Amino acid sequence: MNRHLSILAAAAAVGIVGYAHDAQAQATLAQVKERGHLNCQVGLPTPGFYQLGDDGTWSGIDVDVCRAVSAAIFGDPDRIEYQSVTSAVRFTSLANGESDMLSRTTTWTAVRDTQLGLNFAGVNFYDGQGFLVPVDSGISSTLELDGATVCVLTGTTTELNLADYFRANNMSFTPVTNENVNVLVETYLGGGCDAYTNDKSGLAARRSAFPDPTAHVILPETISKEPLGPVVRQGDDAWANLVRWVLFGLIEAEELGVTAANVDEMLGSDNPNIKRLLGVEGNIGEGMGVANDFMVTVLKEIGNYGEMYERHVGENTPIGIPRAGTLNAQWFDGGLMYAMPFR
Amino acid sequence: MSDYRALGGVPFMPKPARPAPANTTGVVGWMRQNLFSSPSNALLTLVGAYIAYVTIMAILNWAVFNAVFEAESRRECLDLVGRAGACWPGVVAWSRQIMYGLYPADQIWRINMGFLTLILWVVPLWLPRVQSKVAIGLTAVLVYPFLASYWFLGGQAGFVWSVLIAASIACFVWVWATALLESFTGATFGRFVLTLLGVQHRSEQDQRRVLRAVAAAMLLVAYVAVSFWTLPFVPTTRWGGFFLTLVISGIGIAFSLPSGILLALGRRCDMPVIRIACVLFIELFRSVPLITILFMFNTMLPLFLPVGVEVNQLLRAIVAVCLFAAAYMAEVIRGGLQAIPRGQYEAASAMGLGFWQTTVLIIMPQALKIMIPTIVGNFIGLFKDTTLVSIIGLFDVLNMARAVGEDTRWLGLFIEPFFAVTVLYFICCFAMSQYSINLERKLDTGPGGRR
Repeated sequence: MNRHLSILAAAAAVGIVGYAHDAQAQATLAQVKERGHLNCQVGLPTPGFYQLGDDGTWSGIDVDVCRAVSAAIFGDPDRIEYQSVTSAVRFTSLANGESDMLSRTTTWTAVRDTQLGLNFAGVNFYDGQGFLVPVDSGISSTLELDGATVCVLTGTTTELNLADYFRANNMSFTPVTNENVNVLVETYLGGGCDAYTNDKSGLAARRSAFPDPTAHVILPETISKEPLGPVVRQGDDAWANLVRWVLFGLIEAEELGVTAANVDEMLGSDNPNIKRLLGVEGNIGEGMGVANDFMVTVLKEIGNYGEMYERHVGENTPIGIPRAGTLNAQWFDGGLMYAMPFR
Repeated sequence: MSDYRALGGVPFMPKPARPAPANTTGVVGWMRQNLFSSPSNALLTLVGAYIAYVTIMAILNWAVFNAVFEAESRRECLDLVGRAGACWPGVVAWSRQIMYGLYPADQIWRINMGFLTLILWVVPLWLPRVQSKVAIGLTAVLVYPFLASYWFLGGQAGFVWSVLIAASIACFVWVWATALLESFTGATFGRFVLTLLGVQHRSEQDQRRVLRAVAAAMLLVAYVAVSFWTLPFVPTTRWGGFFLTLVISGIGIAFSLPSGILLALGRRCDMPVIRIACVLFIELFRSVPLITILFMFNTMLPLFLPVGVEVNQLLRAIVAVCLFAAAYMAEVIRGGLQAIPRGQYEAASAMGLGFWQTTVLIIMPQALKIMIPTIVGNFIGLFKDTTLVSIIGLFDVLNMARAVGEDTRWLGLFIEPFFAVTVLYFICCFAMSQYSINLERKLDTGPGGRR
């Protein structure tokens, strides 16, 4: 996703990390418990992932990760202070201790993971960059885009991916750039460019708001890997573990068929995996500094990963990104969602 | 009449004036004179009128005639009129957020009360017979903020803060008592109280003692009221929308003028330490863009604070805006001071006035008077500059307008909320500039005024 990645902010974050390590040595979990709420960083509202409703509440598939962590710690999914921060300073805000975690369509990359003092806690959405074109252009593959004008967000890895892809395939293109998605969409709809490129989830969301969504098609090729997930500061492994295993718990629950509706029933299940997940057996939760039955609360309040997905970005939402057959399906359905075993 | 008769008996009767030719009066005459005075002007008028007609009709068509006023979602709007008309229900559904941010819905009355109190506080400044306008104006700037914190922030305040809030309430009572008394009886509040208690003939010292006791009693009553009636706490992270814009720019404006005056005086003063300090401050904050200062205060400052110490994000933004505005205002005021002729200073010295007397009585009134357009221009600029706080993640009115189009129900709706915000900004800025023109006229400094 990498919207508006500012090199400057990254550099600042790098410089800060050394200092921040010492400053944040105190366990994050203890700080959060003492404070009484979780500081969860999201971005400027983005449909499906972290959107602000007209009743003033945040919701979305990324927001649900924060809510799950809050539920695991406090038994209440809403003990959260949301911090909506621009992309340019997202890592600085994490490094300086203002945010406890960020969950905001942030791509897991080597540089970020190893050089910016960040720890990626997992992946809650596999995205990838694609192209949107009008149906009547007759284009059916990205490789037919030679010489096209392409609308692209400026200052993002999206722009770099675009250039890389066209160069690798020996094609030329003219970029039309802007830093505002809405302006780009207007340009695209007004015929100012032949194709609009962004992460496919973003393309689907925008297309759903077109006057006639069926007149536009997302090309099948995906030209980049964008694994998006929650991020914590490096240097507090216990906190990273907690966030990671709450996320795994959400995915594992789907695999085991535990939902918000049947979690109480499942408490009496004979399946040892379910027993361990729900804390009926073992002491996984205690080892992480939360209640043993933390997943019971999480699942009651948020539901499993599949429910989260369908609620915010699934086919019955305005955004409508089908899940079956994509990377976001469970591993036994051919996807990449794979929780490490709870044992 | 007798004089005329003396001139020959025929009184001189001037002929009644004929009415002006029909084509130079009324609408037709005005149009001939101003719009069609020559063929080229006539052509320009027609072309201009055509452009205006096309533009205005396009806007009206979009905003009114083709617009949708009732719908559940943007999809419904699109199905009804496509993109030919505005989709206002989205803006309506979000109007509360655009105005008040994420402030709890059942607490919004507090914001309204807060601003109502402010308006009531300053209303006496416009009442003609009120004498203590300077005191009222000063209390509005210095004391009102405590009352505002009571309304907007709420929660259990500490002892000192509660006392300050109580003082603020007592002050508010004093303002209106003074305003009413001075309008109807011409007596000051102090005199009225003394008469009421029948001690107006005692010694001056006794009178002062009584007044102090009355002030303390008012404070005590207000304190009891404040401690009995606490409002639920609303953290500043939930502040937003136009309310936040007003808070930031209001504090910035109220802070920048006095501190700008002090900085400007400091920069012109002979004491080297003060002068250098002022120059450094002004030049530092003037040479750095506001957005950089905001970033510095917002993301860098927490790094330098010890773990666990958290300075409120809104407070940091407000401090940044205040410092920036003060530096700019200082230079504006200095420009005004420079325009005062040397003779004014010399005349004041000749009358035996000291530095502060000269500044307060002679120089500042003249300097501020000629600076009104620039000062108000600066205020308007500051008011609009506060939109930059949206970049550091505060949900001011602009950021809220942006959020509308990211709500799945109203996805992609961004022209309409921005249009609404534009109108809102225009109204505010236009009102400010009209007020400044009004003030100029009253003080006779404008182009038509006496010099």
